[in-house]
Amino acid sequence: MDVLVSSTIEAFHLLFSGDAEIWEIVGISFRVSTLAIMAAVPPALIIAFFLAYGNFFGRRFLISLFNTFLSVPAVVIGLTLFILLSRQGPMGDFKLLFTQTAMGIGQFLLCLPILVCMAHVSLQSADRAAWETARTLGAGPIRAFFTVLYEIRFGLMAALLAGYGRIISEVGASMMLGGNIAHYTRNIPTAIALETSKGAFAEGIALGLVLLFLAFLLNALLQYVQGRGSINP
Amino acid sequence: MIDALQLNLSRLSKKYGRNVVLDNLKFDIASHECVLLTGENGAGKTTLLRIISGLEKPEHCEISFNAAPAGSWRKLRKRLLKSVMYLHQQPYMLSGSLRRNLEYAARLNAAIVDQESSVDRALEWAGLEALQFQSAASLSGGQKQRVALARARLRDPQILLLDEPTANLDSESRERTMQMLYEFRDTGTAIVIVSHDPEVFSDLTTRRIHLHDRQTSPADGPGSEVIDLDKVRQSQQQ
Repeated sequence: MDVLVSSTIEAFHLLFSGDAEIWEIVGISFRVSTLAIMAAVPPALIIAFFLAYGNFFGRRFLISLFNTFLSVPAVVIGLTLFILLSRQGPMGDFKLLFTQTAMGIGQFLLCLPILVCMAHVSLQSADRAAWETARTLGAGPIRAFFTVLYEIRFGLMAALLAGYGRIISEVGASMMLGGNIAHYTRNIPTAIALETSKGAFAEGIALGLVLLFLAFLLNALLQYVQGRGSINP
Repeated sequence: MIDALQLNLSRLSKKYGRNVVLDNLKFDIASHECVLLTGENGAGKTTLLRIISGLEKPEHCEISFNAAPAGSWRKLRKRLLKSVMYLHQQPYMLSGSLRRNLEYAARLNAAIVDQESSVDRALEWAGLEALQFQSAASLSGGQKQRVALARARLRDPQILLLDEPTANLDSESRERTMQMLYEFRDTGTAIVIVSHDPEVFSDLTTRRIHLHDRQTSPADGPGSEVIDLDKVRQSQQQ
């Protein structure tokens, strides 16, 4: 218990004294995960839209497939990409393994099914009349698409936050694809794993506190937007 | 006053799975006309409106605008979405205020130069000025119907399709809606109304069509009557 208390106190000291290494790790985490989710949002919304409103062969199969991807462990994504990106792999020539790009690709694949499935549910629960109203009022398909997205913005925000929460805290894929290289691919989860294995609990707890604060912030934001949604639909 | 339009549909067929909803149907509408479409539940009235508005693709259909064939469904759909406006039985209100709903419609009409004043005029026309900053979702059914008609006024379609526009409305809201529909008709807009209550629209409509057995037949007017195709077939068999 003493170790936990003293490590936590030291963790706060590290955070508020502006320890450069800690904040560099935080910066890498946020940069990679933010870019990954920004890249995943557009295709996820388009896929979700076609799954919700489209009428094509294999639609139900694709919905099942994306739902299945929700439960794929991060290490499996990491393993698959590791094989593809390793020097002997089909994409080895790109030399992406152990780079932030590889970590970003892994996180992209991790959050894509979450975004697709949650956006799909939001679109399906939304009134199809929203799309039809926009179209009959003279909106082209792209404008009507954005109108519908605006109508379900609270559900989309929840999807975004859930996806971000998933990738910023995942360790398996980042460890395998990034290699946990200091000052380059070491992010919060991989750093926590490393510091814990070294017995440097204070650093691990400090980074854990950042993740905890982020999780709280995301949930508070989600509660806020959902609250607004219920009061003023 | 809008540009005159003559829309002719023939050999129109639509099915959902194995269920044939419309079969070899013929339907015409022109500017200044107001057609009342009647028929039993499941007769295909709403489906017909949705096809005319371009929201639903038929299995087969030959459509001409002003006697000129429209071409492929892709081109046709574009033309229909441009000329025709469909109002749902329960109009969908976009999130935000009532005014935002009208502003959205005004923004989409390239012919409107001064959006602000056009929206103000539409609000005044619908008698909704006092409610303009209220959340559109919180309006009553009658008020939503008026918002939908005000949006349609800003859209200025050549053909206006209404699905049960006075269903579940109190007498005052019904009066108001009717008044707005009269004004639409006077501008030359062709109107098609689906209703189970023909008496309400008897003065407004110029023609009445009964949808029966997946086909249309004139339901009143000089020398016409409802044709019950089932009875005709039964008598032929006997």
